[in-house]
Amino acid sequence: MVPAEWAVELKDVLKTYQTGPIDVPALRGVSLQIAAGEFAAVAGPSGSGKTTLLNIIGGLDRADAGEVRVAGQNLQLLSSSELAHLRLQRIGFVFQTYNLLPVLTALENAEFTLLLQGVPARKRRERVEKLFSEIGLAGLEDRRPAELSGGQQQRVAVARAMVTEPALILADEPTANLDSATAIALLDVMEHLNRVTGTTFIFSTHDPQVMERAHRLIRLRDGQIASDETRERQEARVTARGDAG
Amino acid sequence: MRSALLLVKIGWRNLWRNPRGTLLTALALGLGLALLLISLGLLDGGHEQTIADGVRLGPGHVVIQAKGYQDSGSDELLLPAQVVSRIEGFLQTAEMKKLVRGVSPRLLATGLLSSSANSAGVRIMGVIPQDEPAVSFIPQRIVEGTYLSDDRPSGVVIGAELARELEVKIGSRVVLMTQALRQPGVETKKGAGEEMQSTLLRVSGIFRTGLQAVDANIIQLPLPAAQTLLGVPDGQVTQVALLLQQEGDSPMVARALLKQLTGEPVEVLTWRESIPMLAQILGLDHAFNYIMNGVILAMVGLGILNTILMRVLERRYEFGVSKALGLRPGQLAVMVIGESLALTAISLALGLALGLSVEHYFATSGLDLRWIFKADLPSALVLDPILYSRLSSNRIIWSVSIVFAMTTVISFYPALKAARTELPDALKGL
Repeated sequence: MVPAEWAVELKDVLKTYQTGPIDVPALRGVSLQIAAGEFAAVAGPSGSGKTTLLNIIGGLDRADAGEVRVAGQNLQLLSSSELAHLRLQRIGFVFQTYNLLPVLTALENAEFTLLLQGVPARKRRERVEKLFSEIGLAGLEDRRPAELSGGQQQRVAVARAMVTEPALILADEPTANLDSATAIALLDVMEHLNRVTGTTFIFSTHDPQVMERAHRLIRLRDGQIASDETRERQEARVTARGDAG
Repeated sequence: MRSALLLVKIGWRNLWRNPRGTLLTALALGLGLALLLISLGLLDGGHEQTIADGVRLGPGHVVIQAKGYQDSGSDELLLPAQVVSRIEGFLQTAEMKKLVRGVSPRLLATGLLSSSANSAGVRIMGVIPQDEPAVSFIPQRIVEGTYLSDDRPSGVVIGAELARELEVKIGSRVVLMTQALRQPGVETKKGAGEEMQSTLLRVSGIFRTGLQAVDANIIQLPLPAAQTLLGVPDGQVTQVALLLQQEGDSPMVARALLKQLTGEPVEVLTWRESIPMLAQILGLDHAFNYIMNGVILAMVGLGILNTILMRVLERRYEFGVSKALGLRPGQLAVMVIGESLALTAISLALGLALGLSVEHYFATSGLDLRWIFKADLPSALVLDPILYSRLSSNRIIWSVSIVFAMTTVISFYPALKAARTELPDALKGL
């Protein structure tokens, strides 16, 4: 079945960075469609273009050529301020290094984007507290980032991304700075939210443990898609290989 | 509105991420404001004192004299008796009485004062002994003997330098020689003419103002004695000097007098017109002080700019994240400006507390210039070595506004820098 509208759609996307006089191609003609509600991972070695791909999907960077559509909107045609509005209203971000504002408490960090959206205080608090209790942050509302562990900080970052109920969450190596147990706990939270809310998740990783949890795995190599498989296909392939062996 | 409050809250909390740095910066800016307030207070206090001294050694805040006297300096130009009466009558009105502290009619001339030892050219001031102390500085500066009085019609007070030159002391006899004044169309007193006149006087007091020109030249004697010597009819004087309660009322009082004396051959001058050099010196001093204050503020301003800019550059990554989350460039700028304004508010509080405390001390106890100049006090510049600060509320409002406006303008550049945080480059910081 083909969805009426893709959550994310890329056609022949090219992106080249210039390092001094040298052109460094980051994406070389990437085409991709991601349906609403998918829980997809973008994997690949360092320099394969994972972060660039996520930045372009999130409107943080612009493609040199090709077409990028998020929630039906062609990002290439949007101004910087329209992109900021799109990010605020439709996209949630989780960064590798948590990136909470150090001067705000966990609750204030989580409600930051709601405040920018102009949501009233009572509603903000209700939504954040509900989310905090769902992801195991209840009781930590008044702590500043420095008083939280890495895993707790990253969960606050996920709460901040989720609290506006965006259509899409982009997470750039969200488990890179976490130990295995904390990383698994975070993935549990993300998967739970994906299942319950139907929010589309796209996260980059080079951690096999994380790749295993993705429902769809897109592998990048040298700025191109090397493979793009659903978990079922992966499992079927592994089974087939086992049978053959 | 809600998001603006959040941005201000973030700005305020950001200040306290580095409390020591924030307090040092606030102290630097506060010190700038404090210096501004102290220097303006001392400047205004000094000027007020200089004006007060200047007018009390000269012709008062407002002077009425015969038309043309200011330009020609001719002692033969006298105020007619009926004009003096009109002036005195007008100054007795309730409205004028509230404004005027003292009135002194004076007869001025030049002459030669001789003792048994020496002679010196002098400036003669015929004054009414009981009126002059309310206007002039000289009666207060008697260092030996006493000031003039009506019961000593032949008494004279002279400056300490003149006394030294003539080698006279209290009770010494001196001879004042001068030429009788001739007025066009006015008959002089019997016996007076172009020939030299002289009179025997007795030194009743010696004064010391600290000003060489005054202490070596000015002599004061009772007005009737001066009128007789100079052959001037009763009631005629060179000028009527007024000392006002408030220096600022000078133009208003001068205008009222001029209106009252319309048609009379007189000129009514404020001290700015009668002592133009004093006004010019004060104007120059003001200008110099403004330049100095400008330099202080510019230096403090550059320090503030550097601090805020460093704070912004250090948080480039944080701004990148905020922008990625949907914060618009304008909101980022508001956040930085809010932070600067919060810093300014702390600085202004510190500066006001420090500046007004020191200013209050100088306003009540004064700044003793003898402590700074030791023995070399420039007596030509200051008659009173204790300088008292005077700071008006207008000056405080002006100073605070200047510092506030300066820091606000200064914060625009770092705010612009924050607003221009480029994505995704800023996110590559870590």
